[in-house]
Amino acid sequence: MKSLQSDDFRDRSIQADAQQMLRVARDAGIETVWDRLAAQLPQCGYCAMGVSCRNCAMGPCRVDPFGEGPQKGVCGADADVIVARNLGRSIAAGASAHSDHGRDILEVFAETARGQTSGYRIADEAKLRRLAAELGIAVDDRPTEEVARDVADELLESFGTRRDEVSFVARAPEPRRQLWKRLSITPRGIDRENVEMLHRTHMGVDNDYANILLHGLRTSLSDGWGGSMIATELSDILFGTPTPVTSQVNLGVLKGDQVNIALHGHNPLLSDVIVEAARDPELMALARAKGAAGINLVGLCCTGNELLMRKGVPMAGNHLMQELIIMTGALEAMVVDYQCIMPSVTDVAKCYHTRVISTADKAKFPGATHIPFDPHHGLEIGKQIVRQAIEAFPNRNPERVRIPDAPVSMMAGFSVEAILAALGGTPEPLVAAIRDGSVRGAVGVVGCNNPKIAQDYGHVTLTRRLIENDILVLVTGCAAVANGKAGQMMPEAAEMAGPGLRAVCQALGIPPVLHMGSCVDNTRILVLAAALATHLGVDIQQLPLAGAAPEWYSEKAVAIGAYVVASGITTVLGVQPPIFGSRNVVNLLADGLDGVVGARFAVEPDPEKAALLIRRHIETKRRALGLPFLEVPSTVTGTPAPVTA
Amino acid sequence: METVFVDAERCIGCLQCEYACAVEHSRSRDPAWAFMEDPPPRKRIHVEVGPTPASSFPNRCRHCDPAPCQLVCPTAAIARDQRHDVVLIDEVRCIACAMCAIVCPFDALTYHLAVDGGRPHTVALKCDGCIDRVRAGRVPACVESCKVGALVYGELNDLVRQGRRRETLTVLSAAAVRPTATPGIGTVDNWRSLSAAAAEVGRAGGAR
Repeated sequence: MKSLQSDDFRDRSIQADAQQMLRVARDAGIETVWDRLAAQLPQCGYCAMGVSCRNCAMGPCRVDPFGEGPQKGVCGADADVIVARNLGRSIAAGASAHSDHGRDILEVFAETARGQTSGYRIADEAKLRRLAAELGIAVDDRPTEEVARDVADELLESFGTRRDEVSFVARAPEPRRQLWKRLSITPRGIDRENVEMLHRTHMGVDNDYANILLHGLRTSLSDGWGGSMIATELSDILFGTPTPVTSQVNLGVLKGDQVNIALHGHNPLLSDVIVEAARDPELMALARAKGAAGINLVGLCCTGNELLMRKGVPMAGNHLMQELIIMTGALEAMVVDYQCIMPSVTDVAKCYHTRVISTADKAKFPGATHIPFDPHHGLEIGKQIVRQAIEAFPNRNPERVRIPDAPVSMMAGFSVEAILAALGGTPEPLVAAIRDGSVRGAVGVVGCNNPKIAQDYGHVTLTRRLIENDILVLVTGCAAVANGKAGQMMPEAAEMAGPGLRAVCQALGIPPVLHMGSCVDNTRILVLAAALATHLGVDIQQLPLAGAAPEWYSEKAVAIGAYVVASGITTVLGVQPPIFGSRNVVNLLADGLDGVVGARFAVEPDPEKAALLIRRHIETKRRALGLPFLEVPSTVTGTPAPVTA
Repeated sequence: METVFVDAERCIGCLQCEYACAVEHSRSRDPAWAFMEDPPPRKRIHVEVGPTPASSFPNRCRHCDPAPCQLVCPTAAIARDQRHDVVLIDEVRCIACAMCAIVCPFDALTYHLAVDGGRPHTVALKCDGCIDRVRAGRVPACVESCKVGALVYGELNDLVRQGRRRETLTVLSAAAVRPTATPGIGTVDNWRSLSAAAAEVGRAGGAR
């Protein structure tokens, strides 16, 4: 195998495996997401500032952000209305993506409860019964399937229009629920809020930017406390509630002598049965017959996170690794479900023997083999897919195999249940550590990769600066993979943390950066925040917490940011959202919102500065709670030692 | 002398001038049909990205006088229209030798199949000052499409003077004599600086 160097492409990614594959891409002349971004520059300023509107056929329109050209669209909408409409629709798209994912899980859960599926079962009966009790469903002496049917029916109602609030709103602390009620932003039905957002942003409906944005918060809450939360909870019941597990991460998890299958996308429904199928003795024999030593499953993006959290399946990489993994030349199949799967993967796969297998009827890819997922024949379909991958193995060209570095160990599996178990069954030890200041607070570092930021630089640097300053970091999605690759997610990484957090982590045997799951699992962070607030008898906004999305790109991230802020947690974005064409919208989101929901947005691309901003915010919250607080400098002093991946 | 003037500070990279230019130089001159034509119409204005992702500059032929391209053209395909002060290429005479591109101070020439002008062959293309439109009393297509005032058309000295006035106001406002910020400019500046900061984060990652 040719040796791989990584002295190049550091402005594209901080990760050695990505840099090595970018070299392969350059040598082979294969186009990647970074090339396409460069080709798009300059990107349209109207769109980047949010002041272009394509919502009707009197348009398209745009407003001159300099204030001299047209200031209104044909309908009369000014920059405020246009920006708010566009942001509202982004939130609705993101919330819809999560919620449709949640509905897919719920439907399979409902059918499983009726005994109509193959390959699925109630894996965590205790959680099912806890959830049922929480939802007011009788559990005593009732058969599991009957309880599950009632839970399914109750949650299906959360999608409709016959309720005043979605079921899980009841989990929010009382003062928060009262605030939502006063503001009329309690989410009533998951589908309803999304549909209403599309209605409101039709020409001539909601012409008040603040009113549109308030509904944007309600729409996002229907995701955070609705669709996403349903996805998390029911995935736990169907596939098991995560418990701490150690696995490996980066492209080095691919095996040179095995059939490699990458499971990519977001939904665990099919990938979970593929894990089962890959253990099938007949298929393992077939793999050996084809010359492979075995079948190696690896995860990509959030499907990968779902499998890593529950099964310890090794993680190949996050969003920006999806093209690069194919260039290892060692990938037999990429099985995709939906969300964040670049249309380009089939183009890259054409340069290799890799088969792209699409599985969701709502997400087809020209150039892919489509094997539709059907929960009634889950295992059968899983086997069919694994067989396809095995059959591709003899087509692998050993001359082109380039598997980078050895993988890094990472710990995952920190569901709220697992965190509470690590704490001894009660949040009190964490609360005590926060109270005495050994842990200053906690920050959710979440979100995607974006080629506008050197891959993982934002995640890894921000996370390191926070743990160094005794702030516990909770990660999901691409941010979790980034930190795992940087070695920040093993219990030994406590050495990187400040003295207070280090002692707590060492006492509990946990890393200072806790993997809480996929991007729908950001709801675990909400549940934990609500539990802490309720334990302390305060609202979430009073807690020393913050959110950060240093490298976000997707509409789903917009919905997440909005529900986190609407839940009372101030959030720092690393990439500017398309709102800067409206000073009023910027002022509302970055300032005014604090007086409405007790939290706001900030934008700070530099993770060093974002860390200071977050630390100041946390100390402000500590001070207000009457806890010991520190003065945090407002500017970065000197040149901080770079964080190495 | 009337010309198209560029206020680069105002360019937000929307590429609408490129689109309008290509349509103006199509056979149909109709945005709905222009892109069905074969060969496709070509733009003669080129917006390139600057040092940061949210900076850009619309580049086109500056119609120099004397024009280096005109001086070196071996077939005398390039000539000046004295009345409108624009440099024009005769596509029938052009032999696509690229001499004009070699000497152009602005790299404003491209080579494509000619849309019209006799037998189809590759010719040098560049801004013709929208001479047909100007003759009809209209402003060039790129100027018409630019809604932020990055491309303006007028008497050169008038345009320079407008810039000088802005500059004067800026200088005086820096001396705290009077505020001059136009409405909205703050948000654009904010957008630009964040974009520049994001680009810096990329380089910072690479600096390690």
